[in-house]
Amino acid sequence: MRSPRPKTDQPGAEPVTSRRRAAILAGVLLTVTLAACSSVDSGSSGDQRQDDTGQGAQGVKKGGTLNVALSGEPDTLDPTLARSLLSRYVFSAMCQKLYDLDKDATIVPQLAAELPEVSADGKSVTIKLRSGIKFADGTDFDAEAVKMSLERHLTLEESARVSDLGTMESVEASDPTTVTLTLSAPFSPLTAALSDRAGMIMSPKQLEATGSDFGNDPVCVGPFKFAERVPQNSIELVKDPNYYDADKVNLDGIVYRIITDSSIRAANLRSGDADVIDTVGTDDVDQLKADSSLSVLESKSLGYQGVTFNVGNADGVGTPPKPGEEPFAKDKRVRQAFEYAVDREALVKTVFNGLFDSACGPISPVSEFSSDAVQACREHDPAKAKALLKQAGVATPYEFTLLTSNTPASLQFAQALQAVVKEGGFDIKIEPVEFTSLLDLQDQGKYQAVQIGWSGRPDPDGNISTFVATGGSQNVAGYSNESVDALLDQSRQSLDVAERQDLYGQLQAILQDDAPLVYVYRQRNLTGVTKKLSGVQVFPDGILRVAFAGFTK
Amino acid sequence: MSTVESALVDPPVTGGDRPRRGKVLRRLVRAPLALTGLTVLTVAILAALLAPVVAPYPAAQTNFDATFSPPGTPGFLLGTDSLGRDILSRILYGTRASLTVGVLSVLLGLAVGVPLGLAAGYFRALDAVISRLTDLVLAFPFLILAVGLAAIRGASLSNAALAIGIAQVPGIIRVTRSETLRLKGLDYVSAAVAEGASDPWIMGRHILPNAVSVLIVQATVAIPAAILGEAVLSFLGLGIQPPAPSLGTMLSEAQQYIARAPWTAIIPGVAIIVITLAFNLFGDGLRDALDPKGSRR
Amino acid sequence: MLRRLAQSALTLVLASMVVFAGVRALPGDPALALAGEERDPASLAALRAKYGLDDSVWVQYWHYLELSVQGDLGRSVRTNIPVSEMLLSALPVTLELSLLSLMVATLVGVLTGILAAVRRGRPAEWFANGFALMGLSVPNFWLGLMAILYLSVALRLFPASGYTPFFEDPVDNLHHMVLPAVILGTGLAAVIMRQTRSSMLESLSTDYIRTARAKGLDERTVVGVHALRNSLIVVVTIVGLQLGALISGAVVTERIFGLPGFGKLTIDSVFQRDYPVIQAVVLVTATAYIVINLLVDLLYSAIDPRIRVTGEAT
Repeated sequence: MRSPRPKTDQPGAEPVTSRRRAAILAGVLLTVTLAACSSVDSGSSGDQRQDDTGQGAQGVKKGGTLNVALSGEPDTLDPTLARSLLSRYVFSAMCQKLYDLDKDATIVPQLAAELPEVSADGKSVTIKLRSGIKFADGTDFDAEAVKMSLERHLTLEESARVSDLGTMESVEASDPTTVTLTLSAPFSPLTAALSDRAGMIMSPKQLEATGSDFGNDPVCVGPFKFAERVPQNSIELVKDPNYYDADKVNLDGIVYRIITDSSIRAANLRSGDADVIDTVGTDDVDQLKADSSLSVLESKSLGYQGVTFNVGNADGVGTPPKPGEEPFAKDKRVRQAFEYAVDREALVKTVFNGLFDSACGPISPVSEFSSDAVQACREHDPAKAKALLKQAGVATPYEFTLLTSNTPASLQFAQALQAVVKEGGFDIKIEPVEFTSLLDLQDQGKYQAVQIGWSGRPDPDGNISTFVATGGSQNVAGYSNESVDALLDQSRQSLDVAERQDLYGQLQAILQDDAPLVYVYRQRNLTGVTKKLSGVQVFPDGILRVAFAGFTK
Repeated sequence: MSTVESALVDPPVTGGDRPRRGKVLRRLVRAPLALTGLTVLTVAILAALLAPVVAPYPAAQTNFDATFSPPGTPGFLLGTDSLGRDILSRILYGTRASLTVGVLSVLLGLAVGVPLGLAAGYFRALDAVISRLTDLVLAFPFLILAVGLAAIRGASLSNAALAIGIAQVPGIIRVTRSETLRLKGLDYVSAAVAEGASDPWIMGRHILPNAVSVLIVQATVAIPAAILGEAVLSFLGLGIQPPAPSLGTMLSEAQQYIARAPWTAIIPGVAIIVITLAFNLFGDGLRDALDPKGSRR
Repeated sequence: MLRRLAQSALTLVLASMVVFAGVRALPGDPALALAGEERDPASLAALRAKYGLDDSVWVQYWHYLELSVQGDLGRSVRTNIPVSEMLLSALPVTLELSLLSLMVATLVGVLTGILAAVRRGRPAEWFANGFALMGLSVPNFWLGLMAILYLSVALRLFPASGYTPFFEDPVDNLHHMVLPAVILGTGLAAVIMRQTRSSMLESLSTDYIRTARAKGLDERTVVGVHALRNSLIVVVTIVGLQLGALISGAVVTERIFGLPGFGKLTIDSVFQRDYPVIQAVVLVTATAYIVINLLVDLLYSAIDPRIRVTGEAT
């Protein structure tokens, strides 16, 4: 299990009544913002890198089994219970959802027939479904099935999808191809949620047969269906003849193998034992690119990695914050100084070979909610850092302990960070701990600063709320600011992209001033592919899409 | 690979009286391999002890302009690693750390194992209890013990030494016990018992000193096993934590760059091999010298 | 003999308690660890309730014993796959790895040991000794990395990792297992070699042999017969003592070569705080160790009638 990586979903949709107008507006805004952001994103040499999200399959033959090497083991294959990012890769081939993401990070319908229709008060969402499709076991896909799945996501005891679904209360199947969701309050991130696991629809027949064991033999709608799983080793999928677009599927089967070590994964790609590998190590990229039979796809992600300060977490997550005593907790100038001391460019260049991007805030430039204000950044300025520290009355070098996960990549980064901030007057003591202990320590508030990240969610709310809203379930910093809370609430209820953009801009300003988290970099999704394969795609959500790939003739 | 458990296998010399000290030394001197081992060891230990003086750079000093410099780059005799740290300096400090763990863990093992072994060999009643305890510890393979300990107490140099030490205790108990049993049966000990000498006196005066040679040999086998054990633990992330250098952490950090900068993995590996080899050579020589059966190797 | 059995049983029970207590002593809220990124309080509480993580230790222990006896070892908290299923799929891998490496080690170790004993003073002995020394001094994970670097990536002779079940495709299976088995076997081979050599030397100088030679038996029979008996004893002894080492070695080897065996399962489950799996794996390993030691002791006394099974350490 790894530190959460920024490899997920895409910006939320804007379910407005006049869908088409909104869609066009969004498209324009997206293009404009992307263009604007590229020039504003200060000091990120990474932005000069070309994104390569892969092409659709061209010149392929039918047949063959694809070998994918994964960086870790997916947890359960039950969409209601799954918590790991890796299980989403497998889902993308065998378990389709109501909505999906396209290569520009726009939400598009998948099992739904069109984008959802939201009522004027925002409390009712109507979704039209595709008709004439079947689950892998032959059962018909209809509104009842959707209702069953959504209700399961909402009510199953250990469901991990409850917070994804926000204020959704109930589902009705008004006719075989329409479902209506009722919300207790407007919730704009809902469509984004339905483009992830919360929108995955499971076969009612299989649900009845297996109950909570569904994950051991899942049945959904998809180009492939589940065949076999060998724990710790592999997951095998085979082509599903019941799939509605079965003739677009080229491969006979997919085998996902688990190879946790990145250099061995790369070795497997080079030796031909794997056709695709995910999460290519930044040090392996050059070698792989040098091999003429291989290529590396890269795309910006939606998450971030940074340093979180314990400003008020004394008794654990969820308890009322108690402002800390230490200078870094009491005085925001110390934290601001830290941000000035961090040389993002140098870090990204040395540790990640220039392959990742700097990050100054929680919203990726790829997101449609990004803007200049959202990407505002403090440039590297050690002199300013020292000056601020002096103002705060703190003696330099200022010492504090940084908790970090003891995986090679994290350690690498922590050590580089340590070296880089020295000039700004900081002396970091690194404390590596095993990842599960890290989670525990940070939740209990037993730390000063922790280096951790987030994989990223389609809707920016998912990247910010749980971390900085008062009482947020992952607010390990113990941060609390009423203005922030208000802005977040407003944004969650707003269904207008432009409005939300503006709100997040304001939010960024406050967050940057208070600096409970200092955002440092944003990973890119790096995927290694053999040139014998065509049609492998990785969009900003980071999901490895191989379902429609094929071996070249 | 010599693991902590395999350190128990090669039984030390048993049976017969030990040759006298002078004879031992003479035999040792005549064995060229053992001497080589000793020399290398001495150099290694000296280098490790004097690391702060001898190392060209501090172990944690990064150099972002010179990352991945191959060996022979001016200023960096053995090259640099992914963060531009001088490998030679890190090897010196790393040897220091690895030797520390090796010696500490064996000392721990001896401190716990010898008294227990003595007691088990001497007092029949305690033997049963101690043997069951030994079996219990033995039932858990070293790595599982170490992983568990690291998970419970966190990973660090001292915990690595603790885990390795615990894993060695059963072996030391067994060796001490069988020596005690053997020595107990000797004439002059029986005579001392008949004369009414107290148990502690017999144990301390007669048994312990004679068991020392066996224990020394055991130690020379156990230390390299412990060093390898530390390397494995650090490799898995359970031992010494970066940025503190140890030969094991250097290897684990180098793993990701193995294709790009093989020397970062080869050099620490070679260092480990040299040290453990030296220990083994010396240990072998020592054991042969102590062998009452003469020049059989 | 009965006493020996009783002792083993006692150790087993004690071991199970240690395992249970040990797992409970692991820091970190397992519910948190397993929750991954979706950590809202409601689902955390549900996780805890489901696995009885809030009950007292004794209650949990008793519950665990009850279920284990019925064969229900629980489910992985992470993947929800039944633990017994995970064990059953991991066991053959480690078994095969251990068996193969034992074969390699025995073959190489015994042969070189005999060589060294018989060809004293000649170059062959030096070579054999050197080999043994290297086997004892080289960290096997480093050897593994080097092997992957040169044999898999550079020369493409063997796959860098992965596993195919034997009955699915024996050739592919062996192809994947060669490197790991050899790497794991080298350390063991060194130890076996040394033991074989010393016991060969010892017995070659006994009266028994001198008599045989005097009787005119040819050297080959003398060596052959004797070598056979000695090597059996040696291998049996070593297996018993080295089992722990083999398992430890397997953990690292499996990690490096990506073999989904017991060792990998152990490490992964500890890092993920997958309680049911940790418990099961460690207990099974301890049990196997105790049982095999018992068998080794029995076998030992069968092979060499001079040694009785008294339950005492060698």
